[in-house]
Amino acid sequence: MPKILLVEDNEMNRDMLSRRLLRHGYEVVLALDGQSGVEMTVSEAPDLVLMDMSLPVLDGWEATRRLKANLATGHIPVIALTAHAMSSDREKALEAGCDDYDTKPIELPRLLSKIEVLLGGGERTPAAKSIL
Amino acid sequence: MDEFVKPAPPVEDIETYAQDIVDTVREPLLMLDTTLRVRSANRAFYQTFHVTSEETENRLIYELGNGQWDIPALRTLLEDVIPTSSVFNDFELEHTFPMIGRRVMLLNGRKLRAGLHAELLVLAMEDVTERRHAEEEVAKAKDAAETANKTKSLFLANMSHELRTPLNAILGYSEMLQEEATERQLEKEFGSDLKKINAAGKHLLALINDILDLSKIEAGKMELFLESFDLGELIEEVATTIRPIVEKNANTLSIERAENLGVMHADQIKVRQALFNLLSNAVKFTQGGTVTVHAGREIMDEREWMVIRVSDTGIGLSPEQIVKLFQDFTQADASTTRKFGGTGLGLALTRRFCQMMGGDVTVHSHAGEGSVFTIKLPAVVRETKTELIREVTRLAGSVAAIDEADSGEPLPNATYVLVIDDDPTQRDLIERFLTKEGFCVRTAASGEAGLRLARQLRPVAITLDVMMPDMDGWNVLLALKHDANLREIPVIMVTMVDDPKRGFTLGAADYATKPVDHARLSQLLKKYTCPHPPCPVLVVEDDAATREVTRAILEKEGWAVTEAAHGHAALACMERERPCLILLDLMMPEMDGFEFAAQVRQRPEWRAIPIIVLTARDLTVKDRQRLSGFVERILLKAGDSHEELLRQLRDLLNEWAPPPATLA
Repeated sequence: MPKILLVEDNEMNRDMLSRRLLRHGYEVVLALDGQSGVEMTVSEAPDLVLMDMSLPVLDGWEATRRLKANLATGHIPVIALTAHAMSSDREKALEAGCDDYDTKPIELPRLLSKIEVLLGGGERTPAAKSIL
Repeated sequence: MDEFVKPAPPVEDIETYAQDIVDTVREPLLMLDTTLRVRSANRAFYQTFHVTSEETENRLIYELGNGQWDIPALRTLLEDVIPTSSVFNDFELEHTFPMIGRRVMLLNGRKLRAGLHAELLVLAMEDVTERRHAEEEVAKAKDAAETANKTKSLFLANMSHELRTPLNAILGYSEMLQEEATERQLEKEFGSDLKKINAAGKHLLALINDILDLSKIEAGKMELFLESFDLGELIEEVATTIRPIVEKNANTLSIERAENLGVMHADQIKVRQALFNLLSNAVKFTQGGTVTVHAGREIMDEREWMVIRVSDTGIGLSPEQIVKLFQDFTQADASTTRKFGGTGLGLALTRRFCQMMGGDVTVHSHAGEGSVFTIKLPAVVRETKTELIREVTRLAGSVAAIDEADSGEPLPNATYVLVIDDDPTQRDLIERFLTKEGFCVRTAASGEAGLRLARQLRPVAITLDVMMPDMDGWNVLLALKHDANLREIPVIMVTMVDDPKRGFTLGAADYATKPVDHARLSQLLKKYTCPHPPCPVLVVEDDAATREVTRAILEKEGWAVTEAAHGHAALACMERERPCLILLDLMMPEMDGFEFAAQVRQRPEWRAIPIIVLTARDLTVKDRQRLSGFVERILLKAGDSHEELLRQLRDLLNEWAPPPATLA
């Protein structure tokens, strides 16, 4: 059962998405801010991270940058969840090292197919947009 | 001959006659002799200033009414200006008079000889206090209205965001319940109701998104994200989304794509939305008819255009309706909203989007005979600041009607380049050069005058001299960037200083791409040779390997290298020793390069340090703007010739604000 870490500060979004992912057969662990998201990526070693971008303590971009810079977690695919289709958010997410992004409100079938691609596409996704 | 001449009328008669005339004039008049004593005044004068003729005549003007006319500005006028010219007009005098309070007077004067008098000076005073007040009120009201409009846009943007959060929950939970209903085979009981909740939520979301988009455009915050995509595929995609509504109204949808349609370069999301808006209107307002989408690639004015035509056989539009069609919040008529729904923002947005991309949308229609909407977009949309500025200018209301879509002609008011420089030679030099290059140039000799002109003209770009007396270039820049109406105008700081040490470029001077190329970097460094090596250079870079490589190159060139792994550390290093040059990585933890550069530029003693940016990729225009913070780019003089500087200036201006001649 693939394990997904969902980093999301909004309670309802967290509740909804986690329950729906559970229903689709994923194990879900939760983090409420960017800092604990980074820490839990290390301690939980999930197969994939769903990262909200506007997070307290440490925002999603910075959290992604950190876990992509860490050798222990750099290979774990990250999908950025951004508000509305702001093109600058999208660019920023990819720049920070996210492997893919999806916009809120979540359309579950679309998100699920993105998750499946990243999980099925090989155990090591190259850090697509790594710096340098 | 003498016997035929009538005897001259008595002097007294002429005087009375003349006095009668001046008494009928409603403006106060004073007649002064050459010693500035009052010969006479008119009735309006006595009435206005509440004085009698005894208190006035034969007195020195400065003594009138207990010295209330002893005004320094008036002394200057009467004693310095008058003796050298016989006429003066509209000399503005602002003064507090004891009886009538603070007044603004326009003084007009003329020297004349009358009858037996020696030379007289006639001084006419026009009270323009009320007019000035009114003008100020109008300006204030205009400012207030503009501020209110900005506030409204900001409010809408924030509000839309707040509205979406609970809406997301409604959508999400209703979807979850639908899934659950399916699983538990309760679909019959709840399925259709849950679907309705979800559909209504989605509808509401679409409306909110429209409002958000419009307020973003109004606030000047809408950006273009340009990419290459297949237009045919996009049309198919939109058609698939729209099909349910097509079927609901028993319409037929037909799609015709030209063979050579291919790929276009534009903001895909905005093209999709524009097409979606047109298509959903077409199918909404057509019952049991045909909606046709025709897409082709056409050459007009030596440029390639994508032309998408959406025609329907629906209810059509009257000429009156067409006029209102593209206005915000307006539908063909109010009853339409009740009958067909929608915010009335779709077409306004469609047009704004198309215009942002350098195109437009037009309509041909007759009531009862269906409508044809045509989107025309450049096949390759270019990201220039001009679009943004046009938008800003247009929104600022300085231009009533535009139709730049076909010709790409900039707006009449938007074509000015403003040159602010205190040195007349430089000013003239830049003006002549830019005029020759096809720009309309206006000049200002001081910071204050420059700001005034900038507000008046809303130029497409400003060149600004750094060294000026009174208000220096940096302060002018600050004032420009703090004015919501002027903030968007690109500013080019021009340094024309003869001291080569001060001639360093002041923004981000240059950039080198990573991995650092030895030859390129040492080439770059040649520009920054220091007088007494080894000069301190600061390398700000989080990657140790890159730092090491860079250090090796720099040391070989004779620089003394200090390293910092992020922005905070770098600032600390700078407190200890001021480097002559900074090499800066953009992507760093803690404090990134953008932030660091901004901090450095806030300190006057650090402003002049050139920064070379090390970057993983070529900087986009946006990055460069961000990096240079307030400033687009700063030109250097140092050893460069004037020609070189002017050439750079032209290239820069062409980048943001091409003159009409270079657009075709």
